[in-house]
Amino acid sequence: MTQGRSSAPFGPLGVMRNWLRSAPSTAPRQRRSGASHVVSWVILILAILYFFVPLLATFLHSIKPRPNDIPDPTLAYRQVLADEGFFIGLGYSFLAGIITIIISLLIIVPTAYWVRLKVPRLRPVVEFVTLMPFVVPPVVFVFGLIRTYGGPPFGLLSTNAGSDFVLVAAYVILSFPYMYRAVDTGLAAIDVRTLTEASQSLGASWTRILLRVIFPNLRTAILSGAFLTLAIVVGEYTIATYLARNQAFGPYLSLLGRSAPYTPAVVTLISFALTWIAMGMIALLGRGGRQGVQVAGAR
Amino acid sequence: MAEAVVIDERGALPARPARSFGWAWLGLLPFFAFSIAFMFLPTSYLVIGSLLKDGQPSLQNYADLNTGIIPSAFMTSIEISLVTAIAGGILGFLLAYAIILGGLPHWLRTGVMTFSGVASNFAGVPLALAFVFTLGQLGVVTVLLQGLGFNIYEGNFRLTGKFGLELVYLYFQIPLMVLIIAPAIDGLKKDWREAAENMGATPAVYWRRVALPILTPSILGTMVLLFGNAFGAQATAYQLTGGTLNIITLVISSQIRGDVLHNPGLGFAAAMGMVAIMAVSIGLYTVFQRRAERWLRS
Amino acid sequence: MIRTRSLPRLLTLGAALVFVAAACGPSGSSAGPGGTTPGGTTPAGSAGAGGSYEQFTPDAALLAAAKTEGTLTTIALPHDWCNYGEVIETFKARTGLAVNELDPLAGSGDEIEAIKANQNNPGPQAPDVIDVGLAFGPSSKTEGLLENYKVATWDTIDATNKDADGAWYGDYYGVFAFEVNTQVITNVPKDWPDLLKDEYKGKIALAGDPRTSSQAILAVYAAGLANGGSLDDATNGLDFFKQLNDKGNLLGGIANATTVAAGETPITIRWTYNAHAGRDASAAAGGPKIEVVVPTSGRFGGVYVQGISKFAPHKNAAKLWEEFLYSDEGQNLWLKGYCHPIRYPDLVAKNKVPADQLAKLPDVAGTVFPSLAQLDAARTLITTKWDSVVGLNIAE
Repeated sequence: MTQGRSSAPFGPLGVMRNWLRSAPSTAPRQRRSGASHVVSWVILILAILYFFVPLLATFLHSIKPRPNDIPDPTLAYRQVLADEGFFIGLGYSFLAGIITIIISLLIIVPTAYWVRLKVPRLRPVVEFVTLMPFVVPPVVFVFGLIRTYGGPPFGLLSTNAGSDFVLVAAYVILSFPYMYRAVDTGLAAIDVRTLTEASQSLGASWTRILLRVIFPNLRTAILSGAFLTLAIVVGEYTIATYLARNQAFGPYLSLLGRSAPYTPAVVTLISFALTWIAMGMIALLGRGGRQGVQVAGAR
Repeated sequence: MAEAVVIDERGALPARPARSFGWAWLGLLPFFAFSIAFMFLPTSYLVIGSLLKDGQPSLQNYADLNTGIIPSAFMTSIEISLVTAIAGGILGFLLAYAIILGGLPHWLRTGVMTFSGVASNFAGVPLALAFVFTLGQLGVVTVLLQGLGFNIYEGNFRLTGKFGLELVYLYFQIPLMVLIIAPAIDGLKKDWREAAENMGATPAVYWRRVALPILTPSILGTMVLLFGNAFGAQATAYQLTGGTLNIITLVISSQIRGDVLHNPGLGFAAAMGMVAIMAVSIGLYTVFQRRAERWLRS
Repeated sequence: MIRTRSLPRLLTLGAALVFVAAACGPSGSSAGPGGTTPGGTTPAGSAGAGGSYEQFTPDAALLAAAKTEGTLTTIALPHDWCNYGEVIETFKARTGLAVNELDPLAGSGDEIEAIKANQNNPGPQAPDVIDVGLAFGPSSKTEGLLENYKVATWDTIDATNKDADGAWYGDYYGVFAFEVNTQVITNVPKDWPDLLKDEYKGKIALAGDPRTSSQAILAVYAAGLANGGSLDDATNGLDFFKQLNDKGNLLGGIANATTVAAGETPITIRWTYNAHAGRDASAAAGGPKIEVVVPTSGRFGGVYVQGISKFAPHKNAAKLWEEFLYSDEGQNLWLKGYCHPIRYPDLVAKNKVPADQLAKLPDVAGTVFPSLAQLDAARTLITTKWDSVVGLNIAE
């Protein structure tokens, strides 16, 4: 049905359809108005101030050491970097984080997709379940895991592999609120139903749809979820220590001692930087350009 | 023919036969099975423990929730979580919009997103200390402002009070919002804005009729996440405000693991109270979202 | 196109492999190889005129039994608390056992929960031995969580600080001190009433939350003693802190080594041994000079107790550990950490303490020890009344 543009319904769908119908503009894109540009920069600068000043203040504290009244700014840094436990801890936690991300994605993406597509009525239930990790205190959680999986019939915690397994499972649970919300937001931004129908009409199975259509379209959301999960795993302490995973980063930090005046600040800064770099690497790996919404047939 | 056609997204597509609902939930089985195995089962002793007093089944713990500092602890926690969820949501949204559609260089987007990843979990003692170094009595910014003539400690400001804690919480709330809302903003195609403008819309109309309807469900949902995130936080609050503020997570941890009080049943009951509050907030969000959809579509 | 794109990816994968290699590196940072000499151990029979002590020699049968178990699992032992770092290393050296350390930051409540949760778990998550506040000894015994054991030096432990059956036994005590950052505070307070001076506005903090942390609660209790109170009633302590808060001298938040060094909490009230450890650590890290002041009044002894878990997977290793702790060497290592070991009077009488260690110990003459009943009453009072009396709740 071809209707005049001015008569197209005005909601989001109307605009979408209007956009689909009109040919991509070949005229040079108009620059956005100068005003919104300035606003963006102002927002960014304010954000930079808020987020970097505390880090700067931490840094200024970390360079204060003056043994025997002689300034030695890098003393705390040398002490931290000389300790191999730092890197072992970080490495172990990064690895655990990556595994957690993968498992979490494999569970959450199909679930969020299915909820959107087939069972929207169960949505509040699923959301409630994903938000539960927030209200369970971590000690209660880990002791519950030990009670359930430590003794018979499972007896998982006597071996390293078993304990690692329980640790990762716990981390997957912890990642659920963030992963689900990120993926759900990503799904909201693409037209799931049309994509599914189009793919089904082309004869794709569910697995194929998920792997070839849904996952690639969720790139930003998956990256966000991955970042959040990695940050959680690297920073996590209670579960790792009570599961006797002393190789993890959190327990390493705790052994630094409450008496050290400068090394905690240094550890904060270095782990911040290293985690940031790790996320940068993940972002690089996931770089596929800005994902387009692939509405079948259009363009 | 400018009819006022109300587009119902669901109605635009072929209707699914109602009976398929019966089996469809099976697709959620992996999720539920995993959640039961690794979350509900292990924490079942929290539910059971809340119903025990001195080893005997009893509802006393729940009755005790109305005593002492617990009600005010709940209120304070809810207030702090609500404030930081809304403030964090708005500020995070603005930041996300700025880096994605605000005309800033593309590499800034990656930088901000990865930074947000780290900052989203920058909490606990390191975060509290970072702010102490910044806004404490001898903090960098405090001293700077004193040099300029402002003494922020002259008035009622305390970093260790409610406002200080909210300020600190924003450090991980804003990045969380940025990360989660980014795909939604990505979904706002630039061309739609142009299409809307071509149809004669001002930016305000564009926002009201196009952008907000698309974004509102995601924004609301993310705010619930932010609420839960702040609601369950405790390490930062303990370090920064220990001894001064009453928030429910600290009350719970002092009952369950403290050196002193050790009335775990009460702590478990309070945790169940938190579960109830989260359920209510999800319920409210669902209702509010549907209302908002209807309103925005009108 | 493909080439320039894959380079960053290859670099990323390479870096990832490095991380994985690091992660799969030596596991279990606390499994020490047997027989190495830990750095900084005082050779037995320490220098200086005065006493000396022998190295710990484990009982052969017990050692053999422990060796079949191979590891000891501990919990809540920070390395800078009573010199536990050196204690653990020395134990490893003397026995050749590995030590698996759980949550150094655990509170007494956590330790008890850990025993309960791991009842059926023989893995490394189950603590073998615990070190908890005095009040937790009897309650753990009642709950059936402790294994009776009497160390070789049992008779030298004061009767009020041990359980008659051997379920729990005092290990060390300390009194309260002020840890003062002398860079910020030039006029160091000498006693509790000094803290109320105007010059200390916004300068005083506790090392924990008085509604949760034992150390903070007992600090309030101790202040009460100095403020005209008695062991039976901790109200004076609450009043003292109320005055402190009303004057604006008391800060909210938790003080730790970092905040002291940064000058944010230049006067912190904590156990002498923690204050001394903080002083030494600051000196070693090039931080500001810290002075530890033990106030002349209100000397209040806080006792901690040892216990073996009834469900310990490594019972013999646990017994060996207790023998070590209560040997002359073990007690002296605690003393090095500025803690008063429970056998202190006995050690001094037998001249087992090196003179230089004696000199370093703070003067704690006149320390009073509350009974369990008094402790319980004080804790209940302080935790329930803190908010209303002291009213540190600040609106904004």
